[in-house]
Amino acid sequence: MSTDVKPVTIIMIEDDEGHARLIEKNVRRAGVSNEVIPFTNGTDALDFLLGADRSGDVSKGRQYLILLDLNLPDMTGVDILEKVKNNEHTRRFPVVVLTTTDDQREIQRCYDLGANVYITKPVDYDGFAHAIRQLGLFFSVIQIPESD
Amino acid sequence: MPISTNVAVRATAAMLLVGFLALAAIVGTTIWLVERNNVYFTETLEARIARATTVNLRNLLQDAETGQRGFLLTNEARYRQPYDEAVPQIPAAVDAMFTALQPYPEMQRNAEQLRSAITDKLAELAQTMELASSGRLADAIAILHTDRGKVAMDAARTEFVSIIDEADARILDGVQDQRDANIALRWVTIIGAFIILAVVGAAVWTVLAYTRELAAARREVEAANLGLEDRVRERTSDLFKANEEIQRFAYIVTHDLRAPLVNIMGFTSELETGIASLRNYMANRDDSEDLTFADAKLAATEDLPEAIGFIRSSTRKMDALINAILKISREGRRQLKPESIDLASMVDASIAAIQHQVADNGGTAVADIKVPRVTTDKLSLEQALGNLLDNAVKYREPTRPLTIKVRAALVSGNRITIDVEDNGRGIADTDHERVFELFRRSGIQSQPGEGIGLAHVRTMVRSLGGDITLQSKLGSGTTFTISLPRDLRVHLGSTTP
Repeated sequence: MSTDVKPVTIIMIEDDEGHARLIEKNVRRAGVSNEVIPFTNGTDALDFLLGADRSGDVSKGRQYLILLDLNLPDMTGVDILEKVKNNEHTRRFPVVVLTTTDDQREIQRCYDLGANVYITKPVDYDGFAHAIRQLGLFFSVIQIPESD
Repeated sequence: MPISTNVAVRATAAMLLVGFLALAAIVGTTIWLVERNNVYFTETLEARIARATTVNLRNLLQDAETGQRGFLLTNEARYRQPYDEAVPQIPAAVDAMFTALQPYPEMQRNAEQLRSAITDKLAELAQTMELASSGRLADAIAILHTDRGKVAMDAARTEFVSIIDEADARILDGVQDQRDANIALRWVTIIGAFIILAVVGAAVWTVLAYTRELAAARREVEAANLGLEDRVRERTSDLFKANEEIQRFAYIVTHDLRAPLVNIMGFTSELETGIASLRNYMANRDDSEDLTFADAKLAATEDLPEAIGFIRSSTRKMDALINAILKISREGRRQLKPESIDLASMVDASIAAIQHQVADNGGTAVADIKVPRVTTDKLSLEQALGNLLDNAVKYREPTRPLTIKVRAALVSGNRITIDVEDNGRGIADTDHERVFELFRRSGIQSQPGEGIGLAHVRTMVRSLGGDITLQSKLGSGTTFTISLPRDLRVHLGSTTP
């Protein structure tokens, strides 16, 4: 990590703990040393991002990058995306949708709602690991704004 | 009461026949009655003529007698005038009477007797008049006194009366007959009119009933038709939904199967990396005295890599299968885009794609397209065709040069058939249906493959409203036949709800 980039916390919302672990491993292999906070369901993640009152005040002054899976047990990732992008405090956080769905309509919908990147998880592990590592490289160069 | 067409036609025909017979009977009877009337009229006329001539003769005879009496009484010439006038007319009158009485043979006897009586009377009259004219009046009176004239006259009178009575009777009979005939004519006309009216009424009723029934039947058919259309629409929509559900099911299942598979593959890979370092570490340590270490070394260097190898190959295979299902389910979800396609150039392009493989061992691939344009989904047809051509190359018989022939022709029902014929290794009879099933392959497994190709082709061809069949002889070649509607839009129009 270059020194002029502020440390960004990666929020990983992924219900499959195996996937979560593999993602983290591969992100680390790309040289990303930022803190990764994993969530396995949407409610916990929203509590953390927007607070229990969903006002988003808790995120003031934070810098997050959100890794989002669409298939969650309690809600769909699209719901989370919508809430995050409609909150004035969290709307500038980059959201990377990382999921198995490659349905065109779903992809369009995510971008319409403000997703910054949409990645379909490759099924074979080599492809998967490669994609995550490249994503890690991408994380290491992007600038992320601080929340107001 | 239902009237079948047959019964209605028969009933109408029967009624027409009855009506015709009634009319014929009326016309026949009328003509006959009029004829009869004519005859009666003629007979009456004859009777009247007979009566008139007879009366005329009687008058003449009486005139003659009156003239004789007057002359004998007065002896004046002017009193004999009636006699002189009557007598010359009498022979003609007698002849006329005979002529008039000709149709009545039974009166001939009366007429003969009358003639003889008249002859007698005329003779007596002539004699007395002769005597009186020559001045022998007393002689004439004497003759008169003999009653010869009176007897003759009385006899004549009797005959006159009987002839006249007979004639009167005939006139009466004739009039009566005429009246009877008229009455009969009236009744025949009335009855005939009733029959015709009844027949016409029955015919009208039958026609009306039949028409009403036809209308009712048509309404029923229309209602049934409408219901049928609704039902078909309902079923089609049900089928459509069921199909969609199956496709979604396949899609979701494959997607959800992928997630754990990624973990299995991922952690296997992690495990492999871990074991690699472990193996390196173990391999460089030689601690043969420690038995447990030897076991651990064996496990790390041989058993574990072998196990991981099997896990890897199995997951890879499973991944391939899931991908195959995903591909087919995605194909089913794809929106078809019917467009007009130049089949000949499409086939040429597909053949060009395999040309270098075909040419490798001196093979040939030719096309014979007798269909100018078809309207269908280009991508699906292209993929299906490409798949069949790839198979022809893949499963060729290595001992002979490959020959591929692609033929297309129009067939009845506005459909086309595309034949892809090769001289490859062929498919055993028992596998003709099996090769179209998912993950099933036929013959020697000498080529890599998952057994998806033909299943995929069949799915695509069926979604285009067609079907695919094959003819094959093991060892000598295979012909695949794709049958398609010439216009996909017609097919889509008939299946989408």
